[in-house]
Amino acid sequence: MSTVATPSGTRPSRGRLTDLFTGGGRSRRVLWLLLGVVLLVSIVRVISGEQQLTSSSTMAAALLLAVPIGLAALGGLFSERAGVVNIGLDGMMTLGTWGAGFAGYQWGWGAAVVGGLLFGALGGLLHAVATVTFGVDHVVSGVAINILAAGFVRFLSEALYSDNPAGGGVTQSPPVDGTPPTFSVPVLSSGPDLLGSLERQGWFLVSDVAGILRGLTSGIGLLTLIAVLLVPASYLLLWRTAFGLRLRSCGENPAAADSLGVPVYRLKYVAVVISGALAGLGGVFLVFIAGIYREGQVNGRGFIGLAALIFGNWRPGGLAAGAGLFGFTDALQLRSRAAVVALFLLVAILLAVLALVQARRGNLLTAGIAAVVAVAALVAFLTVEELPPGLVSFTPHLTTLLVLSLASQRLRMPKADGLVYRRGEH
Amino acid sequence: MAALLLAGSMALAACASDESSSGGGSGSGGGGGGGSDELRIGLAFDTGGRGDRSFNDAAVAGVEAAIEEHGGEFQDLSPNADASNRADLLTQLADEGYNPIIAVGFAYGEVIGDVVEQYPDTTFAIVDSSAEEVGADNLTGLLFSEEQGSFLAGVAAATKSETGHIGFVGGVETPLIQKFEAGYVAGAQAVNPQIIIDRQYISPAGDFSGFNAPDRGLLVAQGMYEAGADIVYHAAGGSGLGVFQAAAAAGKRAIGVDSDQYNTVDDPALQAVILTSMLKRVDNAVSAFIDSYVDGSVEGGSDIVYDLAAEGVGLSTSGGFIDDIQDTIDDYRQQIIDGEIEVPTTP
Repeated sequence: MSTVATPSGTRPSRGRLTDLFTGGGRSRRVLWLLLGVVLLVSIVRVISGEQQLTSSSTMAAALLLAVPIGLAALGGLFSERAGVVNIGLDGMMTLGTWGAGFAGYQWGWGAAVVGGLLFGALGGLLHAVATVTFGVDHVVSGVAINILAAGFVRFLSEALYSDNPAGGGVTQSPPVDGTPPTFSVPVLSSGPDLLGSLERQGWFLVSDVAGILRGLTSGIGLLTLIAVLLVPASYLLLWRTAFGLRLRSCGENPAAADSLGVPVYRLKYVAVVISGALAGLGGVFLVFIAGIYREGQVNGRGFIGLAALIFGNWRPGGLAAGAGLFGFTDALQLRSRAAVVALFLLVAILLAVLALVQARRGNLLTAGIAAVVAVAALVAFLTVEELPPGLVSFTPHLTTLLVLSLASQRLRMPKADGLVYRRGEH
Repeated sequence: MAALLLAGSMALAACASDESSSGGGSGSGGGGGGGSDELRIGLAFDTGGRGDRSFNDAAVAGVEAAIEEHGGEFQDLSPNADASNRADLLTQLADEGYNPIIAVGFAYGEVIGDVVEQYPDTTFAIVDSSAEEVGADNLTGLLFSEEQGSFLAGVAAATKSETGHIGFVGGVETPLIQKFEAGYVAGAQAVNPQIIIDRQYISPAGDFSGFNAPDRGLLVAQGMYEAGADIVYHAAGGSGLGVFQAAAAAGKRAIGVDSDQYNTVDDPALQAVILTSMLKRVDNAVSAFIDSYVDGSVEGGSDIVYDLAAEGVGLSTSGGFIDDIQDTIDDYRQQIIDGEIEVPTTP
């Protein structure tokens, strides 16, 4: 009966329509999911009239906020896939910001990137020495690195910036010399700016897609581009190369990997150093935004990156989605408090759909709960003018937490993640 | 190993906040002898610490001016990254015998009450927080009429704006920063009642990260510039750098705060966008307080308010961007000093 062949070929057809939506493997399902989200947001934008929801400016802001979180999460991916829990990401990012500031003010932005990578990698190396060689509990070492990094950068700043003629002080560096170039896609988002003119029409769906695309393709910094490309690159490296397979085997079953000749200790070292370097790169990104190193600039992003990693089920696509979600809601609450209220409508529609689906499947209790919450969300959307600022600024955390708890039903961490591996003792 | 790491980090962190900056009185020429009559001034900084090129450095400038005149030395301490050790800084200075001790920043208001009680023989001053609420005889509050200076910033913005649309970025939504907002809005509306003013805070009350988040300052200001604002005033401490970056990227302008930021950004691209800065003369207030301490005329238990009349606040003219509207500004300044204009302190 089926005319749409499923490449996996293992599942019986469930009808033409179902095949269209759910067949074609993971990539098509993801595509449909993305389209569904855009459609939903587009509906919400038209109903609520909050143009900020899908404007290119919000998308650009979301990208800016998501990149440092994503880089930290990518760092965590390498480390945890090799079996080393990395709570120290935040500290490594802090080290990265300092390294970028120090190299950047003297030798320009290129050196800032190298400096940040190097300082982050040093933090990673310390973590590797502690956890791999000396077998320290991963969490203890990570927490120690976070505290150490904060003290260390203050110490360095006092030593080097206190009486520096170039400027700076105990808590900040002199300004970084120059910024990396930015790119726009020609014709589409610069020059004739076709996407921009489409976005301004305010058409349902078309303008939303244009806005999203323009936000992601206009005036993109070099580092942002690299960060975005690092996501598929990490996937290819970790899941499509022998090196990646060996590295992941250290996180799943190091004893078995060792018995097959995989250099477990060395790979763990490499992974944790890469992890630190990536977190450091996230720090570099923050320094470029401000044009300066400032103490406390990281502001807990390393931990949010860690959350994005877990929410993303220790996979590159998932962590990118987590970072993107956080970045989007953060951008929205920074740009427009009223637009945050429109999210209630989004929740209401989502839950109404869920209620219908559950009701059809006969799960009346779940359907009932979903319907009640949907109605509550709808009422909130219709009655609330503007949320109190304390709540609004908490939106990204709340949203991520909600999605995390809903999506984390089937999470699977690397099997030997967080366990100290001792050769011959397992 | 972990314990070692931890211990090492603690030692480093301790080092970082304990180590005195070597500036001190050594360069002032007045530091001979070291007898007990020697003026020993303690300074406890706000988040951002020494070298913030703004608020804290203005306090240092005031202390240095006072030392120039009276001789002596000073010791400054910066809080740790999350500023949880504010009370410790004050007790540390008091234990070491520094007198007077000046706490720079309203955040000390929460902790200073207990400290002044513990050290009744030490004279304290707090910048930006009221001493009257505490009611201790050895504490003086150094307050500023930020709303008056911000009123003038609003006048400058509204006069210079070509789009009739301006913006305000606040760091943290506290009553102190709301004074800036209120004055700015009143000033802009005095010039142009129809003016559109976007106002936004980076973080809500209680979350002080808004003073130190240049990326968020950049995004908030960017949103305002895209919406049509052409001048944005920030009262957001370190986040203001982001506001300047956004102004430079958008080809628009911004107004700085606390110190003359034209002189402190170190970057010609950013200098070009700084229309003016709302000056808060913390240096004047601090040196005047030390003068009165030396004279023995500190009353204590009361607040000294530095307003436009006392030149405690004002607008900077570096860069010459507001030279052409100086007459308008002076006109409003005089009206405020004469009491003809009452500037609100809450938005």
